Amino acid sequence: MTDRSVSYADAVAAVARAEGNLDAVSDELFRVARALEGSDELRMTLSDRQVPAARRQQIVEDLLGGQALETTTAVVSMIVAAGRSSDLIGIAREAVEINARDRGRSVAEVRSAVALTGDQAERLSAALSAATGHQVDVKVVVDPSIMGGVVATIGDEVIDGSVRHRLSQLRDTF
Amino acid sequence: MSRRLWAAAAVIAAVVALSASAASAAETVGSCILDEIAAAKFEGIEGEGFTAAKNLKTLAAAGDEHAEELKVALGDDLEGCFDAPNPIIPEIKEIVWGGLAFVVLLALMYWKLFPVVRNLMEQRTQRIQDAIDDADRQRSEAAEVKANYEAELADAKAEAARIVDEAREQAGAVRADLQARAEADIAEMRERAAADVEASKRQAIADLQSEVSDIALGAAEAVLGRSLEDPEMQRQLVDDYIASVGAGQD
Repeated sequence: MTDRSVSYADAVAAVARAEGNLDAVSDELFRVARALEGSDELRMTLSDRQVPAARRQQIVEDLLGGQALETTTAVVSMIVAAGRSSDLIGIAREAVEINARDRGRSVAEVRSAVALTGDQAERLSAALSAATGHQVDVKVVVDPSIMGGVVATIGDEVIDGSVRHRLSQLRDTF
Repeated sequence: MSRRLWAAAAVIAAVVALSASAASAAETVGSCILDEIAAAKFEGIEGEGFTAAKNLKTLAAAGDEHAEELKVALGDDLEGCFDAPNPIIPEIKEIVWGGLAFVVLLALMYWKLFPVVRNLMEQRTQRIQDAIDDADRQRSEAAEVKANYEAELADAKAEAARIVDEAREQAGAVRADLQARAEADIAEMRERAAADVEASKRQAIADLQSEVSDIALGAAEAVLGRSLEDPEMQRQLVDDYIASVGAGQD
């Protein structure tokens, strides 16, 4: 995480606070970051300086318009126009962290092969809070590559209970 | 040298003196014959006198017809002239004349001949001495050359022996070095071969284990994949994870 990404995240958080929707904006930024991670073409297009800034902003408008808050669309468009699309994932992660800190909580990025039910998400949040000793917000990412189970990342700590990890351990054992 | 010269001179003088004695003896026989002829009285032969010369002339004039008378007249007188003198002790006058001749001859030889002979002998002696000295010098030089040659030959032999010994030592060292290298190479090759065999064995075992694990994991994944398609199985996995995190296990 670069200082510039932190500065951008602070700015985004300040705008969202001013608009009174930091929680929703941070959540939508998290989703946007996940979308960028899952699409190389989209990430490269938004990072390509050969593409005019207006065209890149238009792509953002087309993707988020009507599906996300105007604040979210505006800050993403601003970051893309500033040529910081490659930092967008880090900025989003830092914005989520800022939102959690504002509420005295931590953020756990949880990857699961299937979408978690609301009950599962709450129980997992409670379990992670109990394990770490402080309140944890769960941000779920559906990742079929882990085959099954859950991988939770809280800061630098990773709790890997995926089937892929178990198979890897089994392969190493052999 | 001088004694030899004197001995030679004495021998020469003695020979001359003996020759003079012989000559003196011959003169005595002739004188005896003439005296007998002069004293002879030829009967029946007319002559002018009875001196030796007259008698000889008379005899020459008488011819062969008086030979018999002449023989009778001389009778045995002439036989006496041929009686031999004492072969050991010459007569006194012969000794005197011989001695005088000896002395004169010796003086002449001492005055004229001896210096010449002495010079010749000294020159010859000097030549001989020079030849001897030269021969000695050449012999010394030859001995020196021989000694040098022998020394050089000995040095050459010693050098040759040293070279041979050195070559033998070098050959031994090279042989030992080659043998050591060969043994080291053989040992290294054996170690390498053993290591290769061991590595191959380990690799084969690892490959086999990997193959077996791949097969086993593949089979497990296939079975697991079919199981994971079941939503209930996925839900159970998530619940198990939540339960393990809540229990303080990962």
